[in-house]
Amino acid sequence: MRFKLIAVVILALLAGCATTAASKVVALGKLRDIEIDAMRVARENGFITVNTQLSNTSSNNKTFYYRFAWLDPDGFPVAEEETWKSQMMYGEQTRFIQAIAPTPKAVDFRLEINTP
Amino acid sequence: MFVRFSIIAAIALLASGCASNPPTLGSKNTSYGDTKAVETITNEFSSTDLQIIAESMTRSLAQSGILRGRPVVQVYDVKNKTSEYIDTREITTTIKTQLMKSGTARFSSDNTDMQSQVDQIKLQNQSGLYKKATVSKIGNMIAAKYRLEGSISSIVKRSSEYKDVFYKFSLQLIDVESGLAEWMDEKEIRKTTEH
Repeated sequence: MRFKLIAVVILALLAGCATTAASKVVALGKLRDIEIDAMRVARENGFITVNTQLSNTSSNNKTFYYRFAWLDPDGFPVAEEETWKSQMMYGEQTRFIQAIAPTPKAVDFRLEINTP
Repeated sequence: MFVRFSIIAAIALLASGCASNPPTLGSKNTSYGDTKAVETITNEFSSTDLQIIAESMTRSLAQSGILRGRPVVQVYDVKNKTSEYIDTREITTTIKTQLMKSGTARFSSDNTDMQSQVDQIKLQNQSGLYKKATVSKIGNMIAAKYRLEGSISSIVKRSSEYKDVFYKFSLQLIDVESGLAEWMDEKEIRKTTEH
């Protein structure tokens, strides 16, 4: 039984876990026309990799700004703040943004996002 | 005792005033900004481009797994093939700093710093000025397993309405012994200004 449980945990870690997006997202103000759908987290070669699915709910092209914050087990940042990135999305488009942690010490993350 | 203490505290507070003035000096038109903000003042190569390039390259390289066992890497200058002046040394330095912080690689002297390193070790060994026990011995420098080199190029288009700049930055890690490129990545950036 115990082995089975461990196996399930390992399998989940290997497969990467779909996280509840809401707990990982820090929106700076209300998000306009941009929705965060799903997040997939995996650890590759020791570094956390996050894949986030976003969609533009409007029919116009939209630009948003985002960056990731990488945290240690206590919830404190493990690296210097990331630079903000600008991303354009076509009307009704769904796309993925991928991010890699700067150091293997990062165990958690937050996605900061802003729509102008 | 408490009353006396309170009076002293109140006097001190009155004397210092209600500290509402910020500790600044000078014109209100000058201020410190966020170094991580997206800069779009013009569409020439910007601080944001430098940061985005360095960030995406180092993370891709660190995560690739090729740098297992913290190998020694020698960093070469990034070749500037664009039409504008870019301090490519800064791209190299930022990439090196971030890789160093990620703990995935060690670095031997860069091609630009090599002369200083050689001068110093020669001075220590040949001048006779230093205490023997403290001298760094010749023949112990660690040779690089990999060299890291990159280039940045651009395509610039202008019309009466638009100026479009497309940057392409490529970086590769080459095994010094075999000459094989073991890792390579590119980052593309497009910036368009409407007049």
